Amino acid sequence: MMDIDIRTRLFISALFSALALFYQRIEYLLVIMAINILTLIFFKIRIKVLFSIKKLLYISVMMIVIQSIFVRTGRPLIKLGSICLVTDDGITYGIAIFLRFIILMLSGLFLLNSNISELTRGLVKLGMPYEIAFMIQMSARFVPVFLEELGDVLNSIQLRGVDLKKVYKRKVINVYLSIFLPIIYSIWQKAEKLAILMELRGFRTSSNRTYYREVCFNEIDYAIMILYLSWAAAFVYITI
Amino acid sequence: MHLVSLDSVSFTYEGKTVPAVDNVSLTIYPGESVSIVGLNGSGKSTLARLMVGLLKPQKGTVLLSGKPIGGYTLPEIGSKLGFVYQNPSLMLFNTSVYKEMAFGLKWKGIKGDELKQICQKYLSFFDLWDLRDELPFNLSQGQKQIMVLSSILALEPECLILDEPTKNIDIFRKHKLKRLLMDIHSRGTGLVIITHDYDFADGLCERRIHMANGRIINDGY
Repeated sequence: MMDIDIRTRLFISALFSALALFYQRIEYLLVIMAINILTLIFFKIRIKVLFSIKKLLYISVMMIVIQSIFVRTGRPLIKLGSICLVTDDGITYGIAIFLRFIILMLSGLFLLNSNISELTRGLVKLGMPYEIAFMIQMSARFVPVFLEELGDVLNSIQLRGVDLKKVYKRKVINVYLSIFLPIIYSIWQKAEKLAILMELRGFRTSSNRTYYREVCFNEIDYAIMILYLSWAAAFVYITI
Repeated sequence: MHLVSLDSVSFTYEGKTVPAVDNVSLTIYPGESVSIVGLNGSGKSTLARLMVGLLKPQKGTVLLSGKPIGGYTLPEIGSKLGFVYQNPSLMLFNTSVYKEMAFGLKWKGIKGDELKQICQKYLSFFDLWDLRDELPFNLSQGQKQIMVLSSILALEPECLILDEPTKNIDIFRKHKLKRLLMDIHSRGTGLVIITHDYDFADGLCERRIHMANGRIINDGY
């Protein structure tokens, strides 16, 4: 990935996310998504990861279906007797939600490919208290551990005889509570241990924290930020 | 007829270049007691996970009772192979020791007096009956291990696969566990013990498999 400041990456990510939430028309969202993908390619960030998540496809289809059913305006496309099931507005709205979702995911890739310690330093430079930035760093660092543990819990509950695909509707809540119980315990236990370990290592004993590696803006960062801000302003001006 | 059979199985974790399990072929027969020993990182736990279908091999095949393990669902595998993780906290799903014991049995369709009898039998044997109303997460690490093991034992699988069963268990419970496993084995249940504890494994298992660098370097009786 091109060596740019973490704050620049945060800015680009926030910009694309804001634009995705601002627009609802499919053609505008498609343009934002195209620019987002081109930016990721330019910064040499791998986007394959996103498309390898099969569940993403199911979620997207579900979004389109749900929106199609619940949005009642527009021309009816599928009718069951006198009841209108799907309208063209519903499908349009569903596709727009799906595109927004993809843009938000693509924007997240800017940060996923960043060094997490660098992100903390960047957030502190932006004025966030170090304790909060450190908490964000820790939660991001433990995500893979919790995902692994969740996988283990799901496997072990099934090995104990629970067929998650065939659980009766009234038992679903109980089963999912059983799944989250060991996960919550694990999170609480890890947080407690981590707090003790951090205190033992003198976390925040001194109010002035110094860094071995400082994050700093350079000309490229300013140029990139101006470029993207100008593009976003021009885009908003043309489309409104 | 074999119970579990691995044929030229290899598995490499994502992001790693060295395989955790490298071209391993192994057959476990019904009622057999096997210990898998080796240093840390030798591939023992990965091998166990491949045997119960929690990991899919990149090369080779794993068969359970003659059928590819991919053809079974996890509950079906669980009814044949009782697998106990190294970290018992991930196998506790309930708010009391008694409920935890009864959990798998209820899903198996056991209820009423029979359920109570089985729970009492296992909890009493492992000195957990007095703690039956306790939150399982409040138990010591060793007690949690015993708790999970007893709840799996109660399901009476064809073979028990235990990953480091003696980790965190005191010497008295260790001897008790050993006696219980010997008793279970004498009734025809197979045992696969993954351990560093050679003493524990030697008196218990007739076959020892030694692993190093993801390969079996010795397999003998």
